[in-house]
Amino acid sequence: MVRSRHMPEALNTDLFDPTRANVLVALLLFLTFLFINILRAKKGGTMYIRPLPGLTALDEAIGRATEMGKPILYMPGLGDMSEVGTLASITIMGRVARKVADLGTTMQVPCYDPVVMTIMDGVARQAYRESGRPDDFPPGSVHYVSAQQFAYVAAVTGIMLRERPAANIYMGTFYAESLFLAETGNLTGAIQIAGCDKVTQLPFFVCACDYTLLGEELFAASAYIGREPVQLATIAAQDWAKLTAAILIVASLALLALGRPELGQFLRTS
Amino acid sequence: MYLGPVLVTFAVGAALIALFFIPHHQAQVVNAEILEWATVVYAFALILGSISLWNTHARKVRNRIEGWPFSLVTMATLVTVTGLGVVQGTGEGTVVYAIYQSVNAPLASTMFALLAFFIASAAFRAFRARNLEATLLLVTAVLMMIGRVSIGEFLWPGFPAFTEWLLDVPNLAAKRAIAIGVGLGAVSTGLKIILGIERSYLGRSN
Repeated sequence: MVRSRHMPEALNTDLFDPTRANVLVALLLFLTFLFINILRAKKGGTMYIRPLPGLTALDEAIGRATEMGKPILYMPGLGDMSEVGTLASITIMGRVARKVADLGTTMQVPCYDPVVMTIMDGVARQAYRESGRPDDFPPGSVHYVSAQQFAYVAAVTGIMLRERPAANIYMGTFYAESLFLAETGNLTGAIQIAGCDKVTQLPFFVCACDYTLLGEELFAASAYIGREPVQLATIAAQDWAKLTAAILIVASLALLALGRPELGQFLRTS
Repeated sequence: MYLGPVLVTFAVGAALIALFFIPHHQAQVVNAEILEWATVVYAFALILGSISLWNTHARKVRNRIEGWPFSLVTMATLVTVTGLGVVQGTGEGTVVYAIYQSVNAPLASTMFALLAFFIASAAFRAFRARNLEATLLLVTAVLMMIGRVSIGEFLWPGFPAFTEWLLDVPNLAAKRAIAIGVGLGAVSTGLKIILGIERSYLGRSN
């Protein structure tokens, strides 16, 4: 039940914030694109999705680890469950765990956030169940490390140097620790695949990893790996929205040059 | 079996989206309350995290896996610091506070300082002129580095302005393109979860 609490003197009684009307329009437009593409997918329409080298390399990395008899290190980053990058990472980890279970290799998932750890453990267990090998799931393969950024780095780089994993997969939200992890992984000779939604960390991954999923490719990855039509439809909707955004940006710039700044002002978020 | 969690996700997700557009004070109280619940959930999850940490390191010690003495130190520290925190608290003047200030904080600072060396080694590898793109990156990086230090202005007074242009025009254009993609991807993922299209976080493929 919601408790009443001390409120500021000037109470806002409006039911809609007009400065956020543009966000609402964009949301409704995106939902429309989503439903149109889901309907297209359900009717059997073809959905072309550009191949992502980083994702095709995932199979190669898991295969390499199997051949070498070494583990795969999967890092979900420092994001908590409020970060969309973490949600995307959980989905990708599920797909990777399924392949790991099928091939009978091992995977380690050191976690920074205890909530993420609990969810990832459940997802990994389910992947083994779906693979028909629930008893092969190694307890503790998804484990908590620390909620201190550099304590986490020290522990994970320690795992890299001692256990020498064949493949390091970084998917999720990363901050200053990205280069520590990727550079140490590079020193150990592991094949490295990264996916990150933070623009500031992407250059580090590009420098130190073999393959990098840039920004939106992280979100597309889960749908891409699964190849289910409805999931692919969401990527198509995303592309339609991106095209609309590009058209609106160009149109607002053209109108601004003609002395009509209204569209540009409407697109500006508060 | 999974309908319940999906419905809860839909209800909470839809409510939070609606609350974003409603500035009414009562709606904002609800919003703050929902966000506070996340802290409570986190506190309980921390117990699970501690158990996981203990089990992982206990297994390493039991099986004498390489580096097991470090695990022993981790377990001893976990018990000691938690015990001291429960008995004395964590405020200024307590042992936990002293441990944090004299051990944890300097170690974290040292780790952060090491980042400069990692940047140097990564840059060395990235800036090898293997092809046209890598050469372009190398030339831009060299110009950027010269333009950001005092000698740059000495060599050519326009250097600082040129590097500012590099950052504010071509670099920012690329960053914004990625940011727009990330924003749309985040909205797409959020909607997939709220609408129940994406259920893998429940431990289930779709």
